Amino acid sequence: MTDDIQVWMKVAAFVGGGMAMGFGAIGAAIGEGYTASKANEAIARNPQLSGDLFKTMLVGQAIAETASIFALIIAMLLLFSNFSHTSPLLIATFLAAGLCMGLGAIGSGIGSGLPTAEACIGIERQPQMKNRITTIMLAGSAIAQSPAIFALVTSLILLFIDFTGKPVSPTWAAILGAGLASGLGAIGSGIGEGLVAKSGCEGIARQPAGATRTTNVMLLGMAVTETTAIYGLLIACILIFKNFPAAESIAASMALLGAGLCMGIGAIGPGIGEGFAGQSAVKWIARNEEGTATLTRSMLVGQAVAESTGIYALVISLILIFVA
Amino acid sequence: MEQIKHIQKKYGSLAILLALGAGLGLFVLGFKPVGKGLILGTIFSIVNFILMAESLPSRIGTTRKKATIFSFLWIIIRYGLLAVPIAISLKLSQFNLWGTVVGLFMIQMVILADGIISQVYFSTRKKNSTENLLWKN
Repeated sequence: MTDDIQVWMKVAAFVGGGMAMGFGAIGAAIGEGYTASKANEAIARNPQLSGDLFKTMLVGQAIAETASIFALIIAMLLLFSNFSHTSPLLIATFLAAGLCMGLGAIGSGIGSGLPTAEACIGIERQPQMKNRITTIMLAGSAIAQSPAIFALVTSLILLFIDFTGKPVSPTWAAILGAGLASGLGAIGSGIGEGLVAKSGCEGIARQPAGATRTTNVMLLGMAVTETTAIYGLLIACILIFKNFPAAESIAASMALLGAGLCMGIGAIGPGIGEGFAGQSAVKWIARNEEGTATLTRSMLVGQAVAESTGIYALVISLILIFVA
Repeated sequence: MEQIKHIQKKYGSLAILLALGAGLGLFVLGFKPVGKGLILGTIFSIVNFILMAESLPSRIGTTRKKATIFSFLWIIIRYGLLAVPIAISLKLSQFNLWGTVVGLFMIQMVILADGIISQVYFSTRKKNSTENLLWKN
C-alpha cells in the first residue's frame, strides 16, 4: 500500500510539474508575442526609433516572463524535491500546486504583455515621453504580476504545509479546491489589470500633460481589478487552513471541491470585466481633464457592478465550505 | 542593436554587482549557501536576459516557418537554462534554493528599481513643457 502511494505521489508530482510549466507558458508567450507584434508595427511606422523600441520590447518581455519563471520554479520543485514522508494527501497536494501555479500564470503573462505593447506604440508616436512611458509600463506590468504571485504563494503553502494528522477525506478535496480557487481566480485579474495598464501607457503618450491624473486613475483601476484574485486567495487559504472533520460521504469532499471551482471560475469574468471598465475610464480621462471626477466615479461604479458576480461566487463558496 | 547591447550591459552589470554585494554580505553573516545560491541564480538570470535579445537578428530576414521553429527552440533552450540553477540548488546543499530563486529574478528587480528611480526623478524634476508635445498620427 505504501509502495502504491509512493508511486502515485511520483505520478502526481510529474503531472503537477507538467501542468505548472505547460499552463504557465501559455500566458507569458501570448503576452510576449503581442508585445513583439506591436513593436513591429511601431518600428514599421518609425524605423529611426528601432533601437528605443527594441529596448522597450526587450525590457517589457523580461517582466512579462516573470509569471512563467514562477511556474518553472514550482515545476522544478515538484520534479526534483525529495519528500520525506508518504501520505495520500501529498498526491492531491502535488496536483493542486501544479494546477494552481500553471493556471495562475496565464492571466498575468497575457496582462503584462498589454502595457508593453502599448508602450511601444506610445514611444513611436511620442518619443519625447519615452522615459515616462517606460516607467508606467514597468509599473503596470509589475502590478499585473500580482495575481501570479498569489498563485505562487498558494502553491508554496500547499507544498510546504504539513497535512499530517488531517483526515484524507475531505482534506484531499479541500487541497484541490484551494489550488483551483487561487489558480483560476488569478486569470481574470491578470488580464484585467493588463488592460487598465495598457490604457495608462496610451493615455500618457497621447496626453503627456495629464500624466499624473492618468497614472493615479490607472493605479486605482488596477487595484480594484485585483480584488477578485484576492477572493480566490482568501478561499484557498480557508480551504488550506480550516480543519475539516473526517467524512465518509463523498458529498462533503465535493462541497469543498465545488467551493474552490466556484470561486476560481467565478473570478475570471469579473476580473476581465473590471479591466474593461478601468481601461475605458483611463483612456478617456487622459483625453478629457474636466471629466476626471465623473469618469473615475463611473469607473468605480462600473467595476463594483462587474464585481458583484465575483461576490456571488465568493458567497456560494463560503456557503459550500461552512454550511454544506 | 547598439542600444540593446547597452541595456544588456547596464542591467547585467548592475544585477551582478548587486548579487556580489549581497552575496558577500551573506557570506560575512554566515549564510554562505544563500549567498552562493543568489550569485548562481543571478548569473543564469543575466545569461537568460542576454539570450532573449541575441536571437533577434537570426529571426529577422528568414522565412516565417524557420523563424517560428527557431523561436520555439530558443524558448526551450532558455527555460532549460533557467532550470539548471534550480536543479543544482535542489541537489547540492552548498546552494540554498530560495537564494537561487531570488537570484533568478535579479534582472527583473533591477529593471523595476531602475523604473522606480526614473519615476522619482521625473516627479521631482521641474515640470517641463509637456503641453507642447503632440501625438503623431
